[in-house]
Amino acid sequence: MAKTSRIPYNIKIQKRLYYSRKLSILTTFSAIIIAFGVAGLFFTIIGLNPLEVYSYIGGVFASPTLLLESFKRAIPIGLAALGLSIAFKMNFWNIGAEGQMYMGMLASTGIVLLHVYYGLIPDYLVLSLMILAAFLTGGLWCCLPAFLKAKMKVNEILTTLMMNYVAMYLVDFLIYGPWRDPKGYGFPLSVPFPEYSKLTVMFGEFAYGGLLLLCLTAVIVFIILRYTKLGFELKIVGENIEIARNAGINLSKVVTVGGFIAGGIAGIGGLTIVSGIIGRLRPRASPGYGYTAIIVVLLSALNPWLIIPVSIFFGGLFVAGDILQATLRIPGAAVEMYQALIFLFIVIGEFMKRYKITITRGVVE
Amino acid sequence: MTELVSLKGIVKHFPGVLANDNVDFTLRRGEIHALLGENGAGKTTLMNILYGLYRPDSGEIYIEGRRIEISSPRDAIKLGVGMVHQNFKLIPSHTILENIILGLKEVGFIINYKKISEEIRKLAESYGWRINPNAYVWQLTAGEKQQVELLKLLYRDARILILDEPTSVLTLQECRILFQALKRMAREGKGIIFITHKLDEVFAISDRVTVMRKGRVVITKETSKTDMSELAQYMVGRPVLFSIQKERTQPSGEAIIIKNLKAFNDKGVLALKGVDLVVKKNEIVGVIGVTGNGQQELVEVIAGLRKAAEGSILIDGINIANSSPDRIIELGVAYIPPEPLKYSIAPNLTIVDNLFMKAYRYKPYSNGILINWKKIYKKADELIKNFQIISPSLSTKAKSLSGGNLQRLILARELSGLIGDKIPKLIVAAYPTKGLDIGATEFVHKTLIEYSRKGSGILFISEDIEEALMISDRVAVMHDGRIVGIFKPGEVDMEKIGLMMAGVQVVPAI
Amino acid sequence: MSIQWVEQVLQLTVQMGTVYLLASLGEIYAERSGVLNLGLEGMMIMGAATSFIFSIAYGHLPAIFIAAVVGALMGFILSILAVDMKLNQVIVGLALTLLGIGLSGFFTFPEIRKNILLKLNPSLPEEMLLTQQAEKLPEIPIPLFSNIPILGKMLFSHNVLVYFSLIFSILMWFILFKTRIGLTIRSVGENPSMADSLGVNVYMVRRATTIISGAFASLAGAYFFIGFHPFWREGVTAGRGFIALALVILATWSPLRAILGAYLFGGVETFQYRLQLFGLGAQSPYFLAMLPYIMTIITLIIISTESIKKKIGAPASLGIPYSREE
Repeated sequence: MAKTSRIPYNIKIQKRLYYSRKLSILTTFSAIIIAFGVAGLFFTIIGLNPLEVYSYIGGVFASPTLLLESFKRAIPIGLAALGLSIAFKMNFWNIGAEGQMYMGMLASTGIVLLHVYYGLIPDYLVLSLMILAAFLTGGLWCCLPAFLKAKMKVNEILTTLMMNYVAMYLVDFLIYGPWRDPKGYGFPLSVPFPEYSKLTVMFGEFAYGGLLLLCLTAVIVFIILRYTKLGFELKIVGENIEIARNAGINLSKVVTVGGFIAGGIAGIGGLTIVSGIIGRLRPRASPGYGYTAIIVVLLSALNPWLIIPVSIFFGGLFVAGDILQATLRIPGAAVEMYQALIFLFIVIGEFMKRYKITITRGVVE
Repeated sequence: MTELVSLKGIVKHFPGVLANDNVDFTLRRGEIHALLGENGAGKTTLMNILYGLYRPDSGEIYIEGRRIEISSPRDAIKLGVGMVHQNFKLIPSHTILENIILGLKEVGFIINYKKISEEIRKLAESYGWRINPNAYVWQLTAGEKQQVELLKLLYRDARILILDEPTSVLTLQECRILFQALKRMAREGKGIIFITHKLDEVFAISDRVTVMRKGRVVITKETSKTDMSELAQYMVGRPVLFSIQKERTQPSGEAIIIKNLKAFNDKGVLALKGVDLVVKKNEIVGVIGVTGNGQQELVEVIAGLRKAAEGSILIDGINIANSSPDRIIELGVAYIPPEPLKYSIAPNLTIVDNLFMKAYRYKPYSNGILINWKKIYKKADELIKNFQIISPSLSTKAKSLSGGNLQRLILARELSGLIGDKIPKLIVAAYPTKGLDIGATEFVHKTLIEYSRKGSGILFISEDIEEALMISDRVAVMHDGRIVGIFKPGEVDMEKIGLMMAGVQVVPAI
Repeated sequence: MSIQWVEQVLQLTVQMGTVYLLASLGEIYAERSGVLNLGLEGMMIMGAATSFIFSIAYGHLPAIFIAAVVGALMGFILSILAVDMKLNQVIVGLALTLLGIGLSGFFTFPEIRKNILLKLNPSLPEEMLLTQQAEKLPEIPIPLFSNIPILGKMLFSHNVLVYFSLIFSILMWFILFKTRIGLTIRSVGENPSMADSLGVNVYMVRRATTIISGAFASLAGAYFFIGFHPFWREGVTAGRGFIALALVILATWSPLRAILGAYLFGGVETFQYRLQLFGLGAQSPYFLAMLPYIMTIITLIIISTESIKKKIGAPASLGIPYSREE
């Protein structure tokens, strides 16, 4: 019959009740590979050779020096992501890790300046006070939107976003203004940090001390989420606010404290940038680590252990971005775009995990 | 052809339940047909099939003699079938008019508000309803909302109207208005299916009645050729007025004293207008009334979930009005909220998490900072056994449990003395048996009675009068934010209870 | 303070505000139908980038048109993710924003711009290939009206996109509240399952509004670049898309009120530049740069107070994907 060629395709989308770990890993890796493919297409369109770009990216993970550099970048990213894992656990959409990091940088630089300009703090106390200040300031920066959400239901996505810009411009203001190094030839830079205020004091190499700090924080976050009262409360609040209220959980307290810890950890992430990677404060010191952290934490499914390797991967991408910019004259935006693509395809992968799509051909009754 | 609808051999399975078992049903033009049965008898399922919400596993649907397939409410509406659900499907922030014309292509691109508003007003007036089509739905009473639902169908020329327990949210006065309008609609030749579990309504309004039990049609009869006791027998399948073996324990001392309690509802309207009520230890006090007369607000204020505007709630001499929920929990108040999945059970968390959702913060399960999971799991094992919760493991997600098991889980959490190792002083149970099957309902009843014997005072909110009369030591009737009467079961007949629920003061409040 | 000064400030206020107005118009439609388009910032910056490149290559009108198409395309992608795949709208919106910012970053590099421009229009002269700026959209004063003191400068001496934004505010308000389509959109955002049962194609409505919001966001970016501030730098829109999101709440999802809100925000930003001219913050201009963002936070707090929240409700199913049960 002539009609046989017009047998319809039937697309059936069914919700999966269960999906295996294997499927989960498979979709994650496919997402990364598809993102490479789509990015490559774009590179070709704008006149670049994708293979050349990829070989540079791959090279980062093959070279010991560059890998060490990736570790360094992974530290602020990972710390911010660990903070976010607490916020996201209680369904608090903190998009403000970037701003909380800037506040951490600001606070730790402030301590250094107090020390350098006024000699108020003894040498041996400087670093510990920096850590404390970074935690407190980052924490407060996240605490405010958390408190506003808990008390007045102010949309935290927008407030945390806005506070990113406020923090960024605040740092700009200080560094172009009162905090500018008088001996810095007019460049917008703070004074260089003295050695004992740098994280290199541990093991002589920031990457090692930083990684240790990251792992320790992961342990702490794991314990908070799994074994503490607060962790249990975060889980219930994240699940359903009405139910948490019914269970007698003090919502404002949990959200505010949770927000404080989340922001505090991100603040320490900010500290690692100025006192670990750069050694002084400059404007736009974070190339978007706080936003990358969102991708990292969602990719790790809020699992503190997974956050570490995933951060290293994204740290490597940042290193690759710098190299591409220096050698191929490809903008750093390439990395941002690539990150966004991975993010997008991971999210689509989430759909593939949740639903089973079958395409059959034939007439359905 | 007088048959508007004919359903033949309808079968519908849900996982684990046979909701409709080979059901036949007919609706004639111009008749009001009552569909009677207990909760879970399969009435609503059958009507949802006719309305296109469910597809039957097998069986045939005929409308005006034509065999048809209904795969969505959209199809049903096109065929002239309309349904008014128990929970109104209206958009509160839109006007009546906007709710009525939504989805109607006939109104044209630019909506002629003036003309349509006039049409709706006229249509409403023809049934004796006075409404302003430009009023917002959130401003309306339950009765008016129902009128809007009906207008929505009538404006679309629906000929087959299905009403699912339409009187459950209405006052007596509103019921009367509804019944008059329905009779008028029937005279115009429409067919009306009236789902109910209340016998008196069957006689007040229907021409014919079909009784369903356990998914089957037991009988279809002219209403004039039967009587209440016959229908009741068909409905429950056993002699009515069964009573629970209940050894009455002498009440001693007050578990809770509520004085002149006032509170606002979510819309800022005064919903509790001065409630006075005492529950003694060893006593079950049932609170009955038409839904929406302040019951929900009352339990929420006691549980600390809603602010009290005035008055006091004394437990052991301590005023707990406006205390925080955790403080009230610590004082020994157990709260079984309505709608477990909305207020009480987190479906994505495990059974253990749900069991210890309140006790996790107290000794010996927590030292103030850390949680002792070992002790929690050990205790959880014990609770699962004691409360007969059937589940594969403690780490199973709560959403995989059945309704009865969920209710047992809540009972275990609230009553088993996890907090302070004592039985609760006061148990506030809001509609604890709603939607449960008979076995689960009995378990809840037995458990409550057992705890009242052990010494708890129990405040039991129910919309089922018979249930309340059966297990309560005293019954309080709530109307318009006040307790309008308190009596012992057997002291007052049903007619007087009905009057009280409608707001007529019969017995002086004790 | 001369009258010229006042006129200039008001004119700038409207011009600045138009960025927010255009972006929020589309977003209002998307949110009214229940879709939160958090990709607004990304779509906006892509609109700016597109208008930058294409106005050099082909001139203004094609650039505006192509910018709208690019935005619509991004809106379409969002609709697939958020409406059809029912993914978390916050996450997919954020992903699209990051993607837009990343993609637009490429145009910062002169070599890449040159490559693209040569492909688009090989006859472009050398200096056009490397320029950081585009030609500004010409102002078209409306005869007679533009001579009215104060109001003339404020409302009738602008480029075509400003007029377009005002006309569309009114038109989109009318459609939303006075027509069947508008009623359908609003109902889908309030109670999609009910709309569905009454024969409304919920998915189609949501797809359409999401695409519209993308087109308008991108138009806002194009306007910002070629109509207001035609000098390219990385991250040129600087979070204005996010401010527009807050503005939608302030406007309580009404296109008419969005005009007022947009000009309010435009005014704050203009005010900030004026203060800089007066020498305030001369030491470091960045202090005042925080102002619009702080202002947005304060706005969000004010509209979240109990008494105000009772009067204005967000669309009831905003951000919740719709899936039909059985």
